[in-house]
Amino acid sequence: MTLVAENLVKTFPGVRALDGATLRLAAGSVHALLGENGAGKSTLIKILTGVHRPDGGKIVLGGAELHLNGPLDAQHAGIGVVHQERNLIPGFSIAENIVLHHLPRRFGLVDRARMRAEARRCLGLLDLDLDPDTPVSRLSVAQAQLVEIAKALSVDSKVLLLDEPTASLTGDEADRLYGIVRRLRDDGQAVVLVSHKLEEVFAVADTVTVLRDGRSVAEARPLAGYTQDQVVDLMVGRAYSSVRLADRHVDLRAAPALRLDGVSTARGHRDISLSVRPGEILGLYGLVGAGRSELAKALLGLDRITAGTVEVRGRPVRIRDVGDALRRHRIGYVTENRKEEGLFLDQPITRNVGVTVWRRMARAGLVTDRAERRLVAGYTDRLGIRISSPSQLAGLLSGGNQQKVSLAKWLAADCEILIVDEPTVGIDVRTKAAFHELIAELAGTGLALLLISSDLPEIVTLADRIAVMNDFTLRGELVNDHDYARMSQAIIRLIHMGSRPAGDETA
Amino acid sequence: MPLWANPRLGLLILLVALIALFTALRPAFMDVTLTLVPLQSDVSVYAVVGLAQLAVLSLGHMNMAVGRMAAMSAFAMGLAYDRLGVSLVTGLLIGLLVGTLLGALAGLVISRTGVNSFVVTLAMDFALVGLITILYTRFTDGVAFGGLPAGMDALRNDTFADYCTGDVCGPEISLVVPLALVAVLAVGVLFRFSRLGREILMTGANGRAAELSGIPVRSRVVQAHALSGLLAGFAGFLLAANNGAFSASIGDAFLLPSFLGPVLGGTLLAGGAVSVLGTVLGAGLTQVIYKGLNLLQFQLDQLNLYIGLVLLAALSLDRVRHVVADRKGARV
Ligand SMILES: Nc1ncnc2c1ncn2[C@@H]1O[C@H](COP(=O)(O)OP(=O)(O)OP(=O)(O)O)[C@@H](O)[C@H]1O
Ligand SMILES: [Mg+2]
Repeated sequence: MTLVAENLVKTFPGVRALDGATLRLAAGSVHALLGENGAGKSTLIKILTGVHRPDGGKIVLGGAELHLNGPLDAQHAGIGVVHQERNLIPGFSIAENIVLHHLPRRFGLVDRARMRAEARRCLGLLDLDLDPDTPVSRLSVAQAQLVEIAKALSVDSKVLLLDEPTASLTGDEADRLYGIVRRLRDDGQAVVLVSHKLEEVFAVADTVTVLRDGRSVAEARPLAGYTQDQVVDLMVGRAYSSVRLADRHVDLRAAPALRLDGVSTARGHRDISLSVRPGEILGLYGLVGAGRSELAKALLGLDRITAGTVEVRGRPVRIRDVGDALRRHRIGYVTENRKEEGLFLDQPITRNVGVTVWRRMARAGLVTDRAERRLVAGYTDRLGIRISSPSQLAGLLSGGNQQKVSLAKWLAADCEILIVDEPTVGIDVRTKAAFHELIAELAGTGLALLLISSDLPEIVTLADRIAVMNDFTLRGELVNDHDYARMSQAIIRLIHMGSRPAGDETA
Repeated sequence: MPLWANPRLGLLILLVALIALFTALRPAFMDVTLTLVPLQSDVSVYAVVGLAQLAVLSLGHMNMAVGRMAAMSAFAMGLAYDRLGVSLVTGLLIGLLVGTLLGALAGLVISRTGVNSFVVTLAMDFALVGLITILYTRFTDGVAFGGLPAGMDALRNDTFADYCTGDVCGPEISLVVPLALVAVLAVGVLFRFSRLGREILMTGANGRAAELSGIPVRSRVVQAHALSGLLAGFAGFLLAANNGAFSASIGDAFLLPSFLGPVLGGTLLAGGAVSVLGTVLGAGLTQVIYKGLNLLQFQLDQLNLYIGLVLLAALSLDRVRHVVADRKGARV
């Protein structure tokens, strides 16, 4: 065993995040660490990297007990990590971020040429074509995640911990990462992989540890001995039956709730035409950097629309900002980037959810905590958000639960048109199914949904039609027949096909 | 939050301890007319000064021009009373309007240009210093206005004990106290219960997320600064009432106390969280220390030295409290 963490205990005010969790890692293997949102996976990773100090248990590395007093200790001990949340310094360049903890120096000064070369090497491992001098603040969520992985690869480590490394990546990029993971394993490293994407886990991992409520319910078992369903049952703690989404009926003659006609934007979108009817889910698929989130933001007035028309319920509109979109046009936007744009990490959950509804709740301009709490309780129940109290700060929730809070905010806002950007990033299997049910249910009540997702199975499960975007243009639109193999092929073909006139129906 | 981590409680204990200490050293500290009534008036003024700063700290901004905004308001009031002979209330409203407009102007510049609030308000302070000197030399004998409205005298000298119905007289509380109390309550309700106040706090907590949640971020910035100007103006009025004169020196000593109150009371400089009660306690503590050291016959510069030390100690304690809290429930 390279690393053994035994009987770890960690309590936070109000929660016992770890309650006797054990993790045994062998060199030359990929170890999956699975569990539902809030099971304690990230807490375990943070203990192994010196971010948190355990309240009980011990860590043994290569036969000797390890005491970590901080993240640097872990790095020196040969433990590399990609945390679930981004930890890059926005004002610094990619290169500076990658070599942050081992700056190449010459005569006491930073050797910028070597720094760049090193950064290029790490980016190259991931086939990333980014200029090392780009400030990190200019990267998309997926690019930032890739840079963080590159950063972890830049140091040699015996143990590499990956906490949901592919959460915001598309299939191609994830495949590249897993190629590297396999190579590291063959070189004798121990790799820990936390992920809610079970297909990926089963494709790459050798052994598995399952956490439930902070306890390990399966310890370092060979993954080959399990089926996906069995693993899910272990995570959930009882037999879990997958849901089937209710059939929805979209009235094809209904006028579109939202229609874009030949829209171009200052960000570089050209001639985008699409429409969503009430009760319909339009999937918007594309690879990282295709410009989907940017399109949504331009729609909301955060970027300039330079040509074309946007119609809401048949009337051409000019949306000034999100408030305008919400109040005048009843359009909501669940952002992809929850940490920076979706949540107020230092504010209680109640305020995070209530912020879009205060206007409606207010009597004479005043909002009572009680009314707010009642509203929030409804959504925490409905979405199964695990909180210790409604006044808990959003930043202290587990990643998946944070995502739920940022969705709850917009469900509470009671919109007629909802743009959801990567809604299930980092969400466990059971909750993801619940989310899908919820989204289908929302559409069933007549909501028009524009679903932006890099998760192909998700799009194929949920969407009625799928618009495919690449390079800031629409490559085509498909009617979804929910046959995964056929749809995914058609979509990939659309992406790789050269430019075509946007918006023409290909199905 | 554990009890020991509550800054308000710590302040309260410190306040009581200091009062006990000063009383033990100088029994005159409990003298009503000599100490307690003036102390009430001072606390009233500086609580409102603290609130003026708190209004923008909520955004994570600063208002370096609190003092000068107060001075401009006071000038407008003095001018209105002296030249137009308006009533107490009308003059007050005119002055508050001036303060509000100055604050809004600062907010507007900040939200339109994106320049840091510190820089904008500092520049504004500089400009206003000049303007105030010019205005006072032009409209007065250079120091203060002569004409005062009816009622001003009562505000300065009376306590409720001077008003009796039959044999029952009010308590020894000076008349400015309820005025300050109104401001405290209003600001408290604003940030706790009103949508406007909450949205200002959310803007301070994360501007980007606020914008993406449909909050009109720019107007909230302007409104918070306008509120700061309004409260600064009100503090200017209270001080003028205490001094019995609308003079050019009003607001000169506002800047440091404006930060002392909120910061001692646990308001974050980073924005997103304010404590109105803490600000009042913080202002109370500062004034008790001033009065106490004064009674013990410290010189003014020594006084300032000690106040500065108290601030440093309080801030370090606050840091320690945060670090300890972080250790216990580590946050990354
Ligand atoms: N700093 C903290 N303070 C308080 N509670 C915390 C803190 N960090 C985590 N928690 C709580 O500990 C529990 C476990 O959280 P953790 O982040 O380890 O879950 P996770 O398994 O990584 O979930 P996810 O799949 O959603 O990322 C959760 O209930 C969470 O709210
Ligand atoms: Mg996690």
